[in-house]
Amino acid sequence: MIYLDYSATTPVSYEVQDTISKVTKEFIGNANSIHALGKKSVDLLESATKQIADIFGVNSSEIIYTSGATEANNMALIGVSMAHHRKGKHIIVSKLEHPSIYAICDYLKSIGFEISYVENDAEGLIDFEDLKNKIREDTILVSICAVNSELGIRQPLKMIRQIIKKENIATIFHSDITQAIGKVSVNFHDVDLASMSAHKIFGPKGIGFLYKSSMIKITPLLYGSGKTNYLNPGTPPLPLIAALSKSVRLANNDLEKRERFISLLNEKIINSLSKYPNIKINKTKYSIPHILNISVLNVMPETLIHALDKHEIYLSTNTACASGESSSSVMAVYNDTKRAKHTIRISLSHVTTTEEINKFLTIFKDEYEKLSSVK
Amino acid sequence: MKKIIILKYGELTTKKDNINYFLKTLKNNINIILKDINHTITYDFGRMFIDVKSEDIEKTVEKLKCIFGIHEIIVGYISEDKSLDNIKTNILSLIKDKNFKTFKVFTKRSDKTFPLNSMEISKSLGGYILRNIPNIQVDIHNPELLVSAEIRKNEVLYYFNGLSGLGGYPVGTLGKGLLMLSGGIDSPVAGYLAIKRGVKIEAIYFESPPHTSESAKDKVIKLARLLAKYNTTVKLHVINFTRIQETILKNIPHEYLITIMRRMMYRISAIIAHNSKCNILINGESIGQVASQTLTSMRVINEVIKMPVIRPVACFDKLEIIDLAKKIGTYDISTLPYEDCCTIFVPEHPIINPSSIKAIEYEELIPFKDLIHEAIKNHEVISVDVEEDREYEDIL
Repeated sequence: MIYLDYSATTPVSYEVQDTISKVTKEFIGNANSIHALGKKSVDLLESATKQIADIFGVNSSEIIYTSGATEANNMALIGVSMAHHRKGKHIIVSKLEHPSIYAICDYLKSIGFEISYVENDAEGLIDFEDLKNKIREDTILVSICAVNSELGIRQPLKMIRQIIKKENIATIFHSDITQAIGKVSVNFHDVDLASMSAHKIFGPKGIGFLYKSSMIKITPLLYGSGKTNYLNPGTPPLPLIAALSKSVRLANNDLEKRERFISLLNEKIINSLSKYPNIKINKTKYSIPHILNISVLNVMPETLIHALDKHEIYLSTNTACASGESSSSVMAVYNDTKRAKHTIRISLSHVTTTEEINKFLTIFKDEYEKLSSVK
Repeated sequence: MKKIIILKYGELTTKKDNINYFLKTLKNNINIILKDINHTITYDFGRMFIDVKSEDIEKTVEKLKCIFGIHEIIVGYISEDKSLDNIKTNILSLIKDKNFKTFKVFTKRSDKTFPLNSMEISKSLGGYILRNIPNIQVDIHNPELLVSAEIRKNEVLYYFNGLSGLGGYPVGTLGKGLLMLSGGIDSPVAGYLAIKRGVKIEAIYFESPPHTSESAKDKVIKLARLLAKYNTTVKLHVINFTRIQETILKNIPHEYLITIMRRMMYRISAIIAHNSKCNILINGESIGQVASQTLTSMRVINEVIKMPVIRPVACFDKLEIIDLAKKIGTYDISTLPYEDCCTIFVPEHPIINPSSIKAIEYEELIPFKDLIHEAIKNHEVISVDVEEDREYEDIL
């Protein structure tokens, strides 16, 4: 099997699997209980949260567990809208967001909020002038992802924050950092709110967190009991939380070394595929090497993916969460419908091997040449 | 240019004959707090220099912000080329990205062989800065940016405005004190203030299991850990107070419960303090806050021991104490909802003007000397470090 869809999800690493099974077996108490088993659980919960907070230089109370990035995005966008709607009803997002952000925006639009979409330049970078012009007195929130999930374009969060706060100090800055975490370094002090998910960093599915700066007020979406966090009440899923904490720790080891290795693999694929005139490499100077997007203009991407499936090679057309549609991110950067309809995303990780890439390229060429000759 | 951390001392410079003792203690305290960072410390009577790798500067400064005895923390730059032209270009490169409207150049010349004197160097550097950075002015009285250059024997040292240190005296220079740490808001603040004046603290905590929970004790350990940041480490004495408290509850009129309980705590604390070579007791009592903190109560409670009791927050309003607790980070822990032994068995109407004679009379109803002896004999000592034990390392 050759798995090249790490940006859709990753397998759970052995170390993290160990944690899940150990915590499931040994920590049976509810972290909200006052007896010794409850205390044991709450101790582990606190240590796990502190480990995450320490890695990112924030306070434990600023980490709110969620079921993943989609829930964290909901908590952030709707939570801010509910808490600050008296100050304004204007929200700005980029054209390179994850589909969940647009779905939330559609909902917010339906209840009276106004959504603006900030332009980006030909390299995919946020158009700073446009952002500046779009921020108004009633802009309560700007949401821009740290790394785009289809093209891997990385945005300079610090600069964006400076522009936002200069125009309107009260505007809150949220960033979906799901595709950035474990791939490039992220500074939480550049944002007010940030969403992430464990299953993109070799952790389990069903857990993630929202970072919420203690300076920001949001309205809870969920109500219930439990003392661990007012924004996410109920019994904390301890095995998943411990696993999340461990995957965050492991993901932040050797970031740069891993990135250098992945860059080599990325270049190898580009060198090999760019000789085909009908394959376009959708890469700008801000793309991170972990996500490589190509457009195969003369073959339907689904056909190619099914052909590769037979060889146990797995990759996506575009982001798994928008499968079947044309790529909005490729459209936003290249403004080319055909290119946007024919995308394939090859996503790499530090566990990808050179042999895998060699084998993938051989089979890919074989299948691609066969399919293009059919046409 | 190489970066170096410069520390200015605060009140220490008023010490004459024993300043060396103060500086040595400060150096030792810094050595302890920087044990994980490769560093060298040199000092004279005016300043201390800490040399660390440039990537460790930020981390080191963060740690130094919790050390008492430091008035100012400055990150300076050293270059070996002492030519005036080089000094000028160095200074310009260091300040060109800083945001300021007014400045002043201050020069010190310990190398008297340098051809220009301090005034002449300042003038020349000031002129050069004015010519090269637009829209700035010299203000010798109240400059936004103070540019300091020191021409030393083998090098030039540059530095600018620094960060405020905590002030106070180096911990330990004034000996040791025992802090009565309850888990409330006031006592950690009292401990912090005592540490500030150079007192190295140990702490004593009274628990009453099963009336008080393990979580309450944990909370106190967490508070001690926060204080350890300023105190290097904290030795925590835990006294099992259950038998004493239950005996008092059974045998003594309820309005005197708190008075007698506090008298027992004072007696035990004084003995522990004596055994641990602590000269004073420190607690978080604040005049009038609760029944045991009226002036009469304080007198009746205090008279069972001879050791001086320092009450750093005695004259603070509750809100002032809370502000300080938030500043040092103890507030969020202190407000966790766990009962401690002072909040269980509280009578509905505790006496606010107790009499010594009655207190003595009531105490004769219980074998308190034996009880105290037993409590001290069985007391537990926990050494609390700044860093938490990584108990779940294998899991996380």
